Amino acid sequence: MSELSTVFLVDDDPAVRDAVGLLLRASGLAVEAFPSAADFLAADAVRRPGCLVLDVRMPQMSGLDLQKKLCAEGHRMPIIFMTGHGDVPMAIRAMKAGALDFIEKPFPGELLLTRVREALALDTQDRCRQAQRDAAAARLARLSPREREVLERVANGQYNKTIAAELDISISTVEIHRRRVMEKLEASSIADLIRTLALVDGEETL
Amino acid sequence: MDLNADHRADRAVIPNPALISLLYLLFSLFWLFGADELLAFWSGGAPPSPLDKTLKDLLAIVPGSVLLYALLRVHGDIVRRVHHAQARRLERIEGQSRRTRDALENQFRERTAELLAINQTLEQQVTARTQVEIALRDSEERFRQLAEHIREVFWVYGIEEERLLYVSPAYEEIWGRPAEGFHERPLDWIEAVHADDRERVHAAHVARRQLGCLDEEYRIVRPDGAVRWIRDRGFPIRDEAGYIYRIAGLAEDITAHRLAEDQLRRQQVELAQMARLRLAVELASNLAHELNQPLAAIVAYTQAGLALLRQDQTDPRALTGALDAVVNQGLRAGEIIRHLRGLVQKHPDARAALDLNTLLRAVIHYAQLELRQAKVTLNLELTGSLPAVLGDDIQIQLATLYLARNAIEAMQGAEGPRRLTIRTALQDPDTALVTLADTGYGFSAEAASRLFQPFFSTKPGGMGLGLSVSRSIIESQGGELWATSNPDRGVSFHFTLPVYGRYLHE
Repeated sequence: MSELSTVFLVDDDPAVRDAVGLLLRASGLAVEAFPSAADFLAADAVRRPGCLVLDVRMPQMSGLDLQKKLCAEGHRMPIIFMTGHGDVPMAIRAMKAGALDFIEKPFPGELLLTRVREALALDTQDRCRQAQRDAAAARLARLSPREREVLERVANGQYNKTIAAELDISISTVEIHRRRVMEKLEASSIADLIRTLALVDGEETL
Repeated sequence: MDLNADHRADRAVIPNPALISLLYLLFSLFWLFGADELLAFWSGGAPPSPLDKTLKDLLAIVPGSVLLYALLRVHGDIVRRVHHAQARRLERIEGQSRRTRDALENQFRERTAELLAINQTLEQQVTARTQVEIALRDSEERFRQLAEHIREVFWVYGIEEERLLYVSPAYEEIWGRPAEGFHERPLDWIEAVHADDRERVHAAHVARRQLGCLDEEYRIVRPDGAVRWIRDRGFPIRDEAGYIYRIAGLAEDITAHRLAEDQLRRQQVELAQMARLRLAVELASNLAHELNQPLAAIVAYTQAGLALLRQDQTDPRALTGALDAVVNQGLRAGEIIRHLRGLVQKHPDARAALDLNTLLRAVIHYAQLELRQAKVTLNLELTGSLPAVLGDDIQIQLATLYLARNAIEAMQGAEGPRRLTIRTALQDPDTALVTLADTGYGFSAEAASRLFQPFFSTKPGGMGLGLSVSRSIIESQGGELWATSNPDRGVSFHFTLPVYGRYLHE
């Protein structure tokens, strides 16, 4: 869990906001509370590491609406919903849209704390993976088109001779490209090469 | 012969009536004919043709005779000849009497014609009279059939007689009092009128003698204690002078109409109650939400406080804010509960003797639209001789309506014929049983165990209150409600209610 992780709490009920905030802070968590979804969006906190503890029923923009909006904008901050009187279809909708949990008020403090810690861990992990992905993508971006062609064939397990024939270049040229690719991707082995490719491809398939 | 020409001239000559009378006395059959060989008289209608021949033969035997009187006995063929001298004497007498005879003949013909005319007139009159009598008999029969078979009491009141002259047998049916004793007790009908209505009805009864018109609605109390609503209408009957001498009337049992009206009114109330229930449920949902907010805050504050206390360096005074908040949130919750209490209202117990079949018909009437829309066929198997049950009709209607709706909904989308059967029966002398059987999907064993739990529903969007409310209603009325699976398909809901009289004896 990162030091910088914050629990963003959104609830229109001041008492709930205050009490839940106090509970989370007493457990050593950084908390920022907002009385509405709009206030949360205005704070531009969505890119920061952390998780959302979100009330379902709020005037103007409901918790579900906020979730939808964040999702549409490609944000992946984990969300834990709280509801005063929820029904099953509402919970199903929230969970299908990727919510981490849907807990009913009143709830035991431990339940929320457990979920919040899971959410923060998930966020950290997610951000870490994202950082690796970004780095891999940046490294891949350094390759020339020819180097990219050679990399794809090396990753497919083709021999230099075959690659040379396929690309209509000499074997020694293939060897030069290979060396360059290894350098640019900061890879010490073929396995490293494949891992970098998989990271980027994994993002593409997501 | 001198008379020959005379006879030829007058072919219609007929002998002296005295002689004819004599001949009638002496012979069963006789005839006479003239010298022209043609028959002049025959006592027995048209002469038979074989006899003609005999007559011609006879003439051949006695040729040249001016007039022959031939007498024949029917038994034999004996012909008696009358002497010519005697014949001539007779002719003379005849000649003298001809004018008299002609006169008599004329008179006779005229008289006969007259009599025939009279007879014809009489016959016509008799025919007409018979027809009138038949018509009258038919009319009387029709009247009798009408009067005796209509469900309304038909009555005729004589103004001068100052009493009812006729009361149709329906009186016995509606009033529950014997119609025969009417003449001895002419005020019998008004004695049955409900005490609250009697004065008004009596006033109307007095007024009708003047007006001849009457249109009153009143209650009667039958000997069995049952109250019935009557609509009584009277119409004046005038004599030729236009004087009202009788009043004819119809007294109709409008209890069913009245009940239907009452039921409609009650159903409106019930509808309002149901709307109220829906509203209450909606509000309860809101209130649950409202209540959970302070509860969540209390729990969170308390647990935050506990977490802080577990940390050694915490100053307990730092907890005062959290504890104050807990108190405030507790009070907030109490306020919400007080609001909720205002929504719950107790209804007074309104139990009375009920005709279960009538009640069920009213419910069906009420659910008619839903039945039609859901294409559900209704099958009523109501036991006719069911005793009255004790209960609050609105409550029982409500429960039955819930069950009927439940059945209709359970058949939505079900394959095969959709049929709702409502049955009444006497389970034992103290208990009436109502069954509503549907042909829907039925329920699983798991659902069966939870069927009557509040907020349990297998229907999308169902609140799960209908069956639990129905059960609590039936139980509040001293009955039971349960469900069974039908052997073929669907479910039967059964409920019992205590029989009215039995309950009172307890």
